[in-house]
Amino acid sequence: MAKKVTGPQLILANRLDDGRAVFLTAAGEWSKQVADAAVANSDDELENLMSVAQAAEVANQVVSVTAVAADESGKALAPAHIKFAMQSRGPSVRADLGYQVSPNWEQ
Amino acid sequence: MYAYDTFDHALVNARVAEFRDQVDRRMTGELTEEEFRPLRLMNGLYLQLHAYMLRVAIPYGTLSSVQMRKLAHVARRYDKGYGHFTTRQNIQYNWPKLSETPDILQELADVEMHAIQTSGNCIRNVTTDQFAGATADEVADPRPYAELIRQWSSFHPEFSFLPRKFKIAITGAQEDRAAVKWHDIGLVVKENKEGEIGFEVLAGGGMGRTPVIAKTMRDFLPVKDLLSYLEAMLRVYNEQGRRDNKYKARIKILVEAMGVEEYTRQVEEEWEKIRHIPIDVPDEEVARIKSFFAPPPLAVLSDEVAEVDDLAAKNFIFKSWLANNTGRHKVPGYVNATISLKPHGGIPGDASDEQMDLVADLADAFSQSEIRVSHEQNLILPHVARKDLPALWAKLDAAGLGTPNAGLLTDIIACPGLDYCSLANTRSIPIAQTITERFDDLKRLMDIGPLKIKISGCINSCGHHHAGHIGILGVDRKGTENYQLLLGGSGAEDASKAAILGPGFDEHGIVDAVEKVVAVYLGEREDGEEFLAAYRRLGPDVFKEAVYGSH
Ligand code: HEM
Ligand code: SF4
Repeated sequence: MAKKVTGPQLILANRLDDGRAVFLTAAGEWSKQVADAAVANSDDELENLMSVAQAAEVANQVVSVTAVAADESGKALAPAHIKFAMQSRGPSVRADLGYQVSPNWEQ
Repeated sequence: MYAYDTFDHALVNARVAEFRDQVDRRMTGELTEEEFRPLRLMNGLYLQLHAYMLRVAIPYGTLSSVQMRKLAHVARRYDKGYGHFTTRQNIQYNWPKLSETPDILQELADVEMHAIQTSGNCIRNVTTDQFAGATADEVADPRPYAELIRQWSSFHPEFSFLPRKFKIAITGAQEDRAAVKWHDIGLVVKENKEGEIGFEVLAGGGMGRTPVIAKTMRDFLPVKDLLSYLEAMLRVYNEQGRRDNKYKARIKILVEAMGVEEYTRQVEEEWEKIRHIPIDVPDEEVARIKSFFAPPPLAVLSDEVAEVDDLAAKNFIFKSWLANNTGRHKVPGYVNATISLKPHGGIPGDASDEQMDLVADLADAFSQSEIRVSHEQNLILPHVARKDLPALWAKLDAAGLGTPNAGLLTDIIACPGLDYCSLANTRSIPIAQTITERFDDLKRLMDIGPLKIKISGCINSCGHHHAGHIGILGVDRKGTENYQLLLGGSGAEDASKAAILGPGFDEHGIVDAVEKVVAVYLGEREDGEEFLAAYRRLGPDVFKEAVYGSH
């Protein structure tokens, strides 16, 4: 569903049970922190990451697997588009709750 | 209130059991996401940016205190201690777990609530005037008819897969608080010369990327013909509505394309064919349903209450609350009281579990255990004795629920936007928060008077920006948030489409622009002239000049 993007990319998804946004790491695991995300710098790298991600989808760990443009220009790695950046940070409101407080927050 | 019969109970319980089985099969992988998605949507469960979202129906916005306590319990036990009341008079939970939703739905079923037909291309929750049955300006309580429509449309086999979602609103009052002209079908309860009750029927309204105001098909349709006529309307739409393009599939596009006269002609032709088959319910059934909505037993009281006047004389906040948040009831000595879910700096429509419990207690103490949800995302205690207002207001105020801003500039409608919604371009809530903080001064707000701001985070228009006196629409500008300013819309009986004023702004610029628009109004208004009237008289140019300067 993501538009064809060029340049560095990372993969995000939602966990099946609680819908939590998670990021695919180089070790093929899903992290709650975007900082852990693997960045694909070529079509081949992206294809490899995507096949790992899709296997996790088939295994019913995650849904909504999406490759998005990565922004490495700032201090921390982040999705370039505001929508996916928001998804990696949690809501900008209710700063008293959830992963707005801590990225490791569990439901 | 309507009470489930054994059939309703069995149906809803069976549905919960079925969904529990489907969730189990999804969790074990027996069902793929592709197979499961339509099933969860049929039960009101969406996947958003950070979590699932469960949308629970509140038919025609009426809740008992028992149901409200259950909503509070669900927020506390299964969510993060709050819920979001929406413009569709529903409640959304932002953090349910997939594996727990069957339990949530079972708990809701225990108090005669569910999430059926809150999603998908079916006939959605029928919405109505939040003051139904509790307002002086009403021909008749519209809720019995809303309930008739709900029963007819629930699980209607022919209309479960319409070209697109379908929304019906009904009002029985002169002042349209249900935005009927912005719905696929709008109904206005009327009384004819013979004293018979019926409906003005409107069709083809809607928001989204093509905003259209509904057009009148019939000035008067007797109650006995309601369901067969609706059936004919839906049939013609179901047969002829476009299915090739999601953005052209709403009835508004069909009615625009063929013209309301032709659509009406086809509907009447279809109606002649079907009006004799028993779709319409017998008078006894209408009477039975009406009995559920019988007016509560309120003893007539005096409207003059010295204690209320005394408090209003010395407390400006209470005086403002009285003026803005209470309205005339049918029964002397009573009011309908609006509990604002728009504290300045807060999230429009959000209520915590504690607040929900408190509202339930206050409904028991002061309002016949009844509560309403308005499409403007507030709660209402419909039947409050004037003499109880000081006590009620003190309790609300102490819980952060006493904001005296109903109908004022800070009573903003905002959709969830990019803080939650996966379809969003921009955030909506923080814009509402900044505006309400900027306009925190009550004297200034009272001076500005009635002004409706409505914010949507994308063109789907869940925040009704097309109908805002001031509308704000979030657009994506190369991956950053950008906000368009619209002026002159109305969702009331004088419905109009808001028009875009000019280029968009960033999140700070849009708030400054709102301030400039308000300043023009204050400078230009005539004696007693409200914002919308002033805009209609002045036209957009003076506002454009103030906001963008001269080019
Ligand atoms: C957060 C999840 C939500 C999603 C995914 C969603 C999705 C949509 C979509 C796709 C449409 C456009 C339908 C069309 O034009 O055919 C729409 C319209 C609408 N939604 Fe939502 N919505 C959400 C939340 C809400 C909320 C919270 C409210 C109430 C505050 C709401 C009320 C409405 C209304 C009033 C419309 C306009 C109906 C019209 O076009 O006439 N939605 N929504
Ligand atoms: S208007 Fe757009 S952003 Fe707002 S809730 Fe609807 S779909 Fe989401």
